[in-house]
Amino acid sequence: MSALLRLEGVRAAYGHADVLVDVSLTVEEGRIVCLLGANGAGKTTLIRCVLGLTLLRGGRIFYADHEITHLPTHRRVALGIGCIPEGRRVFPKLTVEENLLAGAYQERSWTRIREQLERVYTVFPRLAERRGQLAGTLSGGEQAMLSIGRGLMRRPRLLLVDEPSLGLSPLLVRENFRVLEEIHGSGVTIFLVEQNVRQTLRIAHYGYVLAGGRLVASGTPEVLRADPALQAAYFGSATA
Amino acid sequence: MVDAALLAQHAVNALMLGIMYALVAVGFTLFFGVLDVIKFSHGDVLTVGAFTGLTVWLALVAVDLATPWLAVALLVLVPALATALLGALIGRFVVLPLKGAPPLNVLLATLMCGTILREAIRLFYPGGANPKPFPALLPTTAYQLGNLNLRLDSVLLFLTGVAIVVALHLVINRTRLGLAIRAVAQDAEIARVMGIDHVRTVLITFAIGSALAAVAGIMHGLYYNEINFSMGLLLGVIGFSSAVVGGLGNVYGAILGGFLFAFLQTLGAMAMPFASAYRDVFAFAVVIAIMAVRPTGLIAERGVERA
Ligand SMILES: Nc1ncnc2c1ncn2[C@@H]1O[C@H](COP(=O)(O)OP(=O)(O)OP(=O)(O)O)[C@@H](O)[C@H]1O
Ligand SMILES: [Mg+2]
Repeated sequence: MSALLRLEGVRAAYGHADVLVDVSLTVEEGRIVCLLGANGAGKTTLIRCVLGLTLLRGGRIFYADHEITHLPTHRRVALGIGCIPEGRRVFPKLTVEENLLAGAYQERSWTRIREQLERVYTVFPRLAERRGQLAGTLSGGEQAMLSIGRGLMRRPRLLLVDEPSLGLSPLLVRENFRVLEEIHGSGVTIFLVEQNVRQTLRIAHYGYVLAGGRLVASGTPEVLRADPALQAAYFGSATA
Repeated sequence: MVDAALLAQHAVNALMLGIMYALVAVGFTLFFGVLDVIKFSHGDVLTVGAFTGLTVWLALVAVDLATPWLAVALLVLVPALATALLGALIGRFVVLPLKGAPPLNVLLATLMCGTILREAIRLFYPGGANPKPFPALLPTTAYQLGNLNLRLDSVLLFLTGVAIVVALHLVINRTRLGLAIRAVAQDAEIARVMGIDHVRTVLITFAIGSALAAVAGIMHGLYYNEINFSMGLLLGVIGFSSAVVGGLGNVYGAILGGFLFAFLQTLGAMAMPFASAYRDVFAFAVVIAIMAVRPTGLIAERGVERA
């Protein structure tokens, strides 16, 4: 197996506050790799670094043999990195369909865009019913679906997923995990940030634990479940 | 009692001014939409457009090619392209480098930029300190419709303006570029994550807005047959006010605001025919009153959290 994404000694900070300290990790192609950690651990910041939204203070990032440390965001997207961002962030004043089209912005072939639209509408029939509705007027659950669908439109090779189930009912959370497995089944490598430790470790192949901006543990789900660092990272709240 | 013919004449004039103001206001609102900045050089970019048009005309006359229709076409196209480039350059070298700075800095920098453009025209354009006659290129055939005396040039100018607004509407709502512009306006960061080239989209938006200003400047010249180096000052302030009263960031609000301002001015002129200068005072006073009642403008673009 080859590394699709590799971080080497990544440092990031907001002002004078260090948020990521010497983070090195690898996401193997074809896997679901998760990043666990308490609120404020730096998980979203790490995703932002991979996307080029937050600039590194040090370290390097490689994607599929390219160094992408200094590439602007849209060029990284062109290489096949997609994202389902924290907090859904749908475009509120675009319709459902326009949101999906924005997700396919770099796709030039109309046939392929239409194919992808149909695929997303098959996974989320609710979105098809509401394709002309402004995204800002969707329910939270529907916005979550839209955000996922939008992230799939460009058929990414690596999908960065930041807390997709935040604020959803248990039923929708389960549904979300099922969809993620389905996406993975279609050949997409997934890097998943989640607070939902138990369900995340059930679908992940490998995981990292972040605490206070440092990696404190890593391993397969079996290893992580037994790791006291994981319990500590969640202040014992994890019922793994 | 105002007589019907005069009333109709005022209405035509208001429509003409309205479409010009709308074109200027749309620029302000587009810039604010994609970058949350007030680009105060906009009015002077308009002036540059008008003087570019005049230069094109003088050049055509010099080479004896000044047939009216060719002249009209070039008088719109060349200035539009020139200001598109100018607007994109100001965006690239003045506005974008200030990313992250307080909005007030952008406002000041562009204000100074506008002053430089204005003073450069006054100093370096031959006779630039004086008002310049602008050619009347459109047919001035007049039609008598009942009480209304309608001149063909006014009709053509108005229809051109409307066609440009409609074209802009289509670009923004029906094209890939328009989708990018709207996405950047709503959430610039996520737009980048969708693969939209942020800098490119911003610069194209600046180019489009600035081209519209040139068109407004040329229309102004063709309508009044005169331009001067400071014409962009008042037009800029009026365009900005129109954009704000319509709801900064909303294209339709800007258009509405432009027409509203023109009608207020006209109303002021009708109410106080003895002192036409007061029409602006009246219009601005009403705009201030509207802003007091509706701080987000007539069509609020952002939610209350931004108000
Ligand atoms: N724009 C910012 N400016 C300053 N500090 C920030 C900024 N964004 C995040 N931080 C700080 O950086 C730290 C890490 O934030 P981050 O959002 O990466 O955490 P997280 O692990 O994603 O948390 P959560 O689980 O709550 O989403 C936090 O202490 C946060 O307060
Ligand atoms: Mg987070």
